[in-house]
Amino acid sequence: MNSFHQVIGSVFQGSTYLLLFVFASNCIRASDQARDPSTVINNEAVIATSQEKVVKLYGAGGVKGLESYQSGIIIDNSGHILTSWSTVLDVNKVRVVTFDGRRLDATVVGMDPQNELAVLKVDDAGLVGFDLTIASAATTGQRVFAISNLFGIAAGNESCSAQKGVIMATTPLTTRRGKIKSLYQGRVYVLDVMTNNPGASGGALVDLKGHLVGMIGKEIRDEQAGIWLNYALPMDVVKASVDRILSGTTSVQESSLKAVAQPHRPSDIGITLIPDVLAKTPPFVDQVREGSAALRCGLQTNDLILLLNDQRVDSRKSLEKMLSTINRADSFYLLVQRGQELIRIHVRP
Amino acid sequence: METTNTKTISSRRMNRADVSWIFLGMVSAWTSLNPSLLAQEREAPTPSPVVLAAQQQRIESMRKASRATVAVYGTDGQGGGSGVCISADGYVLTNFHVSSPFGHRMRCGLNDGKMYESVVAGIDPTGDLAVLKMVGRDDFPVAEIGNSDEVRIGQWCFAAGNPFVLATNLQPTITYGLISGVRRYQYPSGTILEYSDCIQTDAAINPGNSGGPLFNMRGELIGINGRCSFEKRGRVNVGVGYAISIKQAMNFLWQLKSGRVVDHATLGFTVATDTNGKVTVSNILESSDAFRRGIHYGDEILKLGDREISTTNQLKNILGIYPDQWRIPIRYRNDDGIVDTFVRLQNLHLPSELEEIIKGESPQKGPPPQRKPGNPEIPPPDEKADSLKQNKVAKTDALADLYVEKRGYSNYYFNRFELDRILSLRSNQGNWTESSESWKISGEVPRENLTVEIMLSDTTLAFRMGDKSETVHPRQGWPQWIKQRSSIGLAMGMRIWQEWNRRGPRLMGDAIYLGRNPIVGREGLYDVTRITVSDFDVLVYTSPDTGLIEVIEIFSDNQTDPVELYFDKYEPIDGRASPKWIRLVYGLETQFLVSINSIQIQDGQGGKDL
Repeated sequence: MNSFHQVIGSVFQGSTYLLLFVFASNCIRASDQARDPSTVINNEAVIATSQEKVVKLYGAGGVKGLESYQSGIIIDNSGHILTSWSTVLDVNKVRVVTFDGRRLDATVVGMDPQNELAVLKVDDAGLVGFDLTIASAATTGQRVFAISNLFGIAAGNESCSAQKGVIMATTPLTTRRGKIKSLYQGRVYVLDVMTNNPGASGGALVDLKGHLVGMIGKEIRDEQAGIWLNYALPMDVVKASVDRILSGTTSVQESSLKAVAQPHRPSDIGITLIPDVLAKTPPFVDQVREGSAALRCGLQTNDLILLLNDQRVDSRKSLEKMLSTINRADSFYLLVQRGQELIRIHVRP
Repeated sequence: METTNTKTISSRRMNRADVSWIFLGMVSAWTSLNPSLLAQEREAPTPSPVVLAAQQQRIESMRKASRATVAVYGTDGQGGGSGVCISADGYVLTNFHVSSPFGHRMRCGLNDGKMYESVVAGIDPTGDLAVLKMVGRDDFPVAEIGNSDEVRIGQWCFAAGNPFVLATNLQPTITYGLISGVRRYQYPSGTILEYSDCIQTDAAINPGNSGGPLFNMRGELIGINGRCSFEKRGRVNVGVGYAISIKQAMNFLWQLKSGRVVDHATLGFTVATDTNGKVTVSNILESSDAFRRGIHYGDEILKLGDREISTTNQLKNILGIYPDQWRIPIRYRNDDGIVDTFVRLQNLHLPSELEEIIKGESPQKGPPPQRKPGNPEIPPPDEKADSLKQNKVAKTDALADLYVEKRGYSNYYFNRFELDRILSLRSNQGNWTESSESWKISGEVPRENLTVEIMLSDTTLAFRMGDKSETVHPRQGWPQWIKQRSSIGLAMGMRIWQEWNRRGPRLMGDAIYLGRNPIVGREGLYDVTRITVSDFDVLVYTSPDTGLIEVIEIFSDNQTDPVELYFDKYEPIDGRASPKWIRLVYGLETQFLVSINSIQIQDGQGGKDL
């Protein structure tokens, strides 16, 4: 019932009745605020403050259809930046450009494939971010501002773009296979404004007080209808991922890895990975050998290995390194991306 | 009733139509079938007066703004875009890309439901602006001009216009939004057209909105909508539209009213960001005005116009809002310290380049944008075209007089019109036209206690200051003196001043109205006329209010500073307005200041060639 298609339908075909509700609820809010001068909202100040907590990110891409830029949200005062997990991050250092034009290098702390987000870290630049401990759930009908570097319009010390919008629905992004492409299948805020443009993902959705209420998601298009969805991931979803990543359950310090005497090797499992030609070659399976453990466990050509025992694999090199810490006799779990699906595979030797 | 509906629906799969029915059901239940709720509504406190006042102001702003919003169509009623009327005599600002498919004639509709015959005045292909002139009234509704420098991200704004050519009843569509970004620079896309220092908004800007106005919530005009980011999503709004700032449009307005093909400018140097993040000169033409003002390779540019520079982008951005030939303030730093000066902007394109662009955009190239066929809500084009034709008959002849074709102009008629306007102002200053050509001007340089005498006649210009004296031909051979920064420039300038007042610019040489430019050290903008006399060019700056000459510049070539005469304190001598003070300047350096004591016109000796 709550399929993506219907959400879109309501956006485009039934917009009249939705808008009426929205206006009605806004009028009530506006009058409430007008009674108390201390709560009169200054959009300019709210947006200006929020813009200082949104950064421009530059990384891999630039080839047809893949932008090499996106947006990020500073989420604390110790240099952590939240963004969408995408091919832009497939570089050793992600370039961060702050609101005042500073250029910083960030490393990927960890990522959460299910929620398609990642956390980056820049060292000691005195960045000031949103306070994630402030509970900020948004409700349907609420007005919001979207702050992002959509279309890469802003460069250097230019401000990210601001858009106004209303949360039209809070609904699971249940996707029908082959219809639209999204790994994320959880709850989203559907927005009435064209937020989800190239470069916008990872941008901030803030309420009228400037509290972070969501993160703008990746571009999603209904392949059949050709309609783009504008949505954001709610903060509770985002925060759960961020907590997981920051508590270290999704990533590991490679330098601390200790190789075992008789480790796993890709060739022994029966897979060939694509050649290691980049600084961070994504660990795509090139071939699966006949009769191998890999084939038996269900690995296929073109699978992209994301996690090994729930820890992030960011490149072919790191996969090899991580495998080298597991004894050949032990089994392990892989999370692979196959097309638009995430598949968990138990690899038994 | 609600219950019934719900039951019906729960018995089968809900579809879109059902959703609408539920809604209608709820509305009717709310409004008519539930008096208790209505009663509650009545008892509820009335909305705050603040809210009601804000709403009323919004309605008023939009009403006011709508009156000046223009729907632009071809003469056959086809195609379409938007514009905004900015003067009671019917001047309309729009985009070059809106006017160009229509050639020089179009029709403009206002929300009084009437179509007005219109012609193009000037065009700016680089900045994507055009000025049209509507005819038929002298009391057209005018948009109030706002201050685009005060526009801030997060302010509300609204666009008015003719998106998707929906304004069949000539009522503009209003779209409401947020200022998403300011001071944006949008690179040329495929053509020379660039948007610098523009305003970004999420108010829906769609095809057909082009050329139309962007207003702040006070209903003041802050920009001309013109461009959107689309990329892969097709030509509909995706939350990103751009408006040319009204500041830029106003800088170019009189240039555009001149009927010329207007150009943008270059500084004569390029900049790069050095390793310390400073914006420094990376390349400079030694023939440029900037070089003569002391700017050299490696100097750091700190400020241009009224804005600080910290990136190369900013410099590019600011430069784009100025027409060529303007002199704008610049602050730079070299080894000796910080220097504040002015730089004269050079034209960005050769006239031939601009001609190519216009040819490329001419109506033959392709049909103007068509309204979407097959949309039942829009009457078929024929109907509209017919009604337009009926409207047209009476005014056809009036419009024919408003267009004169000439190379380098989009409509030469307006150039003549503006020059006539300037010259008509002279009638208030006393009549010089019947004076003879032989003048004797006496004055002194008080600072150096020198007397000055200038003799003007049809055979020679004689100049004496203290015990130095020079003579020069009255019409040619001036450049060599100007290159030497000679004081006789004063006599040349007075000759131009004399000729302008006696015979008028059209008899002096090829005279062209350029538009309005600033003058160094003076407030406001001044009408500028360029006269090409035998082997030199003259720029004459006149006051738009009085028509009096403020500055005369005589150029030997474009690699040497011109001689500049600044006129001050006009007083009547024999009933004719005459300057009391004249300052002679080369390259911003004052050579001397002359106090004029008398202008004697020697009767019977001159005027033979008249």
